[in-house]
Amino acid sequence: MEAKIEKKNKFELIEFEVEQGEVDKVIAKYRNKPGELLLILEEVQKLNRYHYLPMNTIQYIGEKLNIHTAKIFSVVTFFSFFNLIPEGEHCITICRGTACHTKRSRFLLEFLIDYLNIEEEINENEKIFITTPDRMFTVRTIACFGQCALSPVMELDGEIHAHMNTEKLKNLIEKIRKEEKEKKKKKKEMNSNDRKE
Amino acid sequence: MIVKNSKMLKSLQEVGFKKIFSENVRVTVGVGTCGTGNGADKVYEKLKKDIPTKIKAKVDLVPVGCFGCCFEEPILSIHIPGNPIVLLNQVKYYNVDKIIDFVRHKEIPEDLALCKIEEWDFLNLPEKIEIGKNYENIKVWKELPYFGRQEKIVLRHCGLINPDDIEEYIGVGGYSALDKVLNNFSPEQVIAEVEKAKLRGRGGAGFPTALKWKFMRGAKSEDSHKYIICNADEGDPGAYMNRNEMEGDPHMVLEGMIIGAYAMGATEGIIYCRAEYPLAVRRLREAILQAREYGFLGKNILGSKFSFDIDMVEGAGAFVCGEETALIASIENSAGRPRPRPPFPANKGLWGQPTNINNVESWSNIPVIINKGGEWFSSIGIPTCTGTKVFSLVGTVKNTGLVEIPLGTELDKMIFNIGGGSSSVKDIKAVQLGGPSGGCIPKDLLSTPVDYESLTGIGAIMGSGGVVVMDEFNCMCDIARYFVTFTASESCGKCVPCREGLPQALKILNSVCDGTAKLADLDILEELSYMIKNCSLCALGQTAPNPVLTTLKYFLNEYKEHIIEHRCSAGVCQKLFQSNCTNSCPLHINIPGFIQLFKEDRLEESFECILLDNCLPASTGRICRAHCNVKCRRTDIDGAVSTRELHRYIADTTYAKNKDEAIIKKLIIEKLPPTGKKVAIIGSGPAGLSAAFYLLRLGHKVDIYEKRAEAGGFLRYAIPPYRLPRDVLDREIGFVEQLGANFLFNSEIGDKISIKSLKDEYDAIFIAIGAHLDLPLRCGGEDLEGVISGIDVLEKIAKNEPAGIGRKVIVVGGGNSAIDAARSALRLGAQVTIAYRRHKWDMPALIAEIEEAEQEGINFMYMVSPENILGSNNHVKSIELMKMKCGECDWSGRLKSLPDGETFKFPCDTVIKAIGEKVKMEFIKDSGIEIKQRDKIAIDPLSHQTNIPEVFAGGDFIIGPSTCAEAMGEGKNAAKGINIFLTGKDNFNKLFKKFFYKAEVPEEPESGNRNIPLELPLEERVQNFKEIVQTFSKGQAITEALRCLRCDVKKGDEKT
Repeated sequence: MEAKIEKKNKFELIEFEVEQGEVDKVIAKYRNKPGELLLILEEVQKLNRYHYLPMNTIQYIGEKLNIHTAKIFSVVTFFSFFNLIPEGEHCITICRGTACHTKRSRFLLEFLIDYLNIEEEINENEKIFITTPDRMFTVRTIACFGQCALSPVMELDGEIHAHMNTEKLKNLIEKIRKEEKEKKKKKKEMNSNDRKE
Repeated sequence: MIVKNSKMLKSLQEVGFKKIFSENVRVTVGVGTCGTGNGADKVYEKLKKDIPTKIKAKVDLVPVGCFGCCFEEPILSIHIPGNPIVLLNQVKYYNVDKIIDFVRHKEIPEDLALCKIEEWDFLNLPEKIEIGKNYENIKVWKELPYFGRQEKIVLRHCGLINPDDIEEYIGVGGYSALDKVLNNFSPEQVIAEVEKAKLRGRGGAGFPTALKWKFMRGAKSEDSHKYIICNADEGDPGAYMNRNEMEGDPHMVLEGMIIGAYAMGATEGIIYCRAEYPLAVRRLREAILQAREYGFLGKNILGSKFSFDIDMVEGAGAFVCGEETALIASIENSAGRPRPRPPFPANKGLWGQPTNINNVESWSNIPVIINKGGEWFSSIGIPTCTGTKVFSLVGTVKNTGLVEIPLGTELDKMIFNIGGGSSSVKDIKAVQLGGPSGGCIPKDLLSTPVDYESLTGIGAIMGSGGVVVMDEFNCMCDIARYFVTFTASESCGKCVPCREGLPQALKILNSVCDGTAKLADLDILEELSYMIKNCSLCALGQTAPNPVLTTLKYFLNEYKEHIIEHRCSAGVCQKLFQSNCTNSCPLHINIPGFIQLFKEDRLEESFECILLDNCLPASTGRICRAHCNVKCRRTDIDGAVSTRELHRYIADTTYAKNKDEAIIKKLIIEKLPPTGKKVAIIGSGPAGLSAAFYLLRLGHKVDIYEKRAEAGGFLRYAIPPYRLPRDVLDREIGFVEQLGANFLFNSEIGDKISIKSLKDEYDAIFIAIGAHLDLPLRCGGEDLEGVISGIDVLEKIAKNEPAGIGRKVIVVGGGNSAIDAARSALRLGAQVTIAYRRHKWDMPALIAEIEEAEQEGINFMYMVSPENILGSNNHVKSIELMKMKCGECDWSGRLKSLPDGETFKFPCDTVIKAIGEKVKMEFIKDSGIEIKQRDKIAIDPLSHQTNIPEVFAGGDFIIGPSTCAEAMGEGKNAAKGINIFLTGKDNFNKLFKKFFYKAEVPEEPESGNRNIPLELPLEERVQNFKEIVQTFSKGQAITEALRCLRCDVKKGDEKT
């Protein structure tokens, strides 16, 4: 799995593509099954480190399935699960379902945007997908996780957290920031050790 | 192993059954997603690790689905063979050691137990299973109010069997319905059975399932492929029934589908499950593999000629794919856009071939219909809507979770009996059914039965089963906006009404919540909604306007309040309220403002700031119920801010320094020019005084008719002086006098002075007579001497007249009036007992009052009700009391109190009735004023106008016995309405002024815990009516003021 580092705009965009061999395996698994396109796109996206579908991948899948890129693009932009831009290292999804809404999930969302120093205005008409400038966090919303008895609900890196409030949210974010700092430190140490040797 | 015939299935059933009810102790942990979200997975892991090392005997540790009782998760069950299954609730990681200890000794930790199951009907087995009887101290599950009215048919396995083990499913009779069908039924007979059952689709539309199957059966396929699809794309926010059904019992869905495929001649099946349910997807995939392994899917099922298989497709986050043609399109590798119907999927569906789509729950009902018969099924529920339905009861209700009830049960049984009523301090206001496609039902329609027709009759729909309860802290305009935001973003974009219409509706709703909308916008919104409803291509657009239309119909007042008053009483729309406290206060006192002025040592301005909104600041400062504290943000830190005590201090200090004189003089000078209009106010209680305060300053002439000899209403004649001293009350009533009110005492409206006669003399009339009649006890002996009304007692004491209090007094009631009467009687030398029919925590009286009464030596008897009053020589000698027990939850959110059968006599010589007050309505007759049902007068909620244009009404007379602040708020609003009526313009704002003070927000919460005012010591109290609670000291007031967090300061205010 190769990583291409490319500087774009103000960000250091690290693009990541799933190897073609892996994509072929997924295609073979679901070929000619009902809903094959959805299943293939979902699994290929999961294999991508930054959980998104680069244009190259989309075109490749189109060629293999003999479906025009425009049609795949229509599917990818129609369903909210598919991302065309990479996610940050950690993905926070706030549930905006009715039960969570009556328990003030909107304030939780606004608090999160504020706490992460995100400048953009949130417009809930459109899909919310905001990544922090340091690429550490992506904030998204979902219409409903179906965990209404646990409202307000939040998902962090695939794990569901129940009965959320701003305190818990703060603690979780700080925990991740701490862990990331440790990781970076370790990486630096390993690099400097490598250099020494 | 392939199950080839019925005999093999039967022996496998016996094996499976023995797995569940084996000789070993069986411990199950509910690891559905709800349980896991609450830590059930940690509990399971610890048990898995520790049981083998700590317990020698073999223990079956089994992961199961969810029992439906979500508010008690994580749930763990222990079954010791021969005994009932016991469910433990809210099991935490640190409880595990204790549990293992008990299990090792084959015992149950009863203090952790929620309920027990002694017998269970798996419905697919020939008989009920007797599990065991024991554990007297643990309630049977059906005795819990949450389960009492539920009937588990669809959910009968969830939480009891391991969903990942097909043998456990077979053990409880699984796949026996399939076996029965393949051996004994023709496809047409299957459909006939479903028709007998009168099953209606559970996805939301309620279409007769058998009819749909008939269409499919009769349709011809061009390439001999026919498909059935299970719609598991449960997208309604707030609904998760299907998730639980799939996670807890995936095989039931499969069995239903296989039977359906046989009946309709389908060749392939697809389960379309939303990807947001990873556990459900995993369980279904696993179940499909196992079903294939055992031969229930694939070729020649159970040795028959029938072959069938199922594939899984995952959705990808599009709500519209729950619509059948959109779902089909997404399986065909297109974007999920609906297609026009006809042609219907039964004729031309997936890949152009006949396709039948049913919801998860519809499929789940099929096996039991086959095994128990369609007739049995149709005997449950009501004739037009048979069977049960699973609902997800969420929102501001105490007991949240999945509830399975027979269709036709009334909604209030679900909300109050099962749900336990409101989970917050506020009442339930509305119930949202059916998700974004559904409607909001107001509280007074809650006795509507839950069936398709009754609900569409009131403008709602049943939908897939989501029930979201809302309280008075939810703003209905915001709720409508929320749903339209959702549907607008989920719109597929194909048709103009939905694609263009919904964003336009959203624009209007946003402007309502912003305070920039106009009243005419509501007409446009309604018209737009009907257009979208009638012209959209698919059900998403056709039902998206439902929340808007129902909120406009049932909650129009909230819309008007937002638009005309620029206020959001629920405290949700940020631009329409200043701070939670000001918003909750019925008088909307600028609380952060007067506190800040006080902090800046500007006492007179602080007093004026309060006075402009509240003309009785020191009186309310003693007796107000502090509505401001309900949402005070400081509560989450270390207690609410003592706003009431603060404005009492400010008023008391101002009076002590006589600084109020100048301020009142100023108000008199600032009175608007005389309008020449005359207003008659009937009643000089808080509502009347407050209305007078504003009407006089607006330049009108005011005459106040009071039936008693002095002004004040309940403030003087019901609230005793030890709570509200007379000199304080007199001084503040004086303000209204000085402003020019003309009091006519001893003038009761009735024969001599009638509404009609007043109409001739005055330009407007405001009726504010309060609620002064005590409710009768309705027991024998009420006409004996010594049985007196609490209100009368308090009035006589206030007039210094003999009140008829004996030596041994019993007060019946639990509100503030009962406590006031009791404590007053105590001060007159009696021995006093209060008898209340519910528990202490259900008493409506203020907790502080109850505690003070206890300290002063009043006895309390709970759970008793008067049965008969006995006397001799026509005077009370004793009262016969009936012991009460708790029944189901009633509409107040408290448990009903029901007679237990046992009575006892309590000797006494005085019985004081204080169980509630009602309004005297006689004088209204012949006045022409419209009376609604239950003796309530119809008024316009904003202007307080009755059906007679010049007659207005407000206060307890309209809203029933309530609080002083609420009554004053009514008076204030009525004054505004009366002024508009009299002058044709709204210059109410001229009576208020803007105070300028710093917009300083404390960086950290200052000042520590809440200040408690000093009280008169017990010894100095009880023989007299001296005031008990003292005013704050200066130090207390200053530190208390510093505790305010200044929630009113908004971003950008600091610059002004």
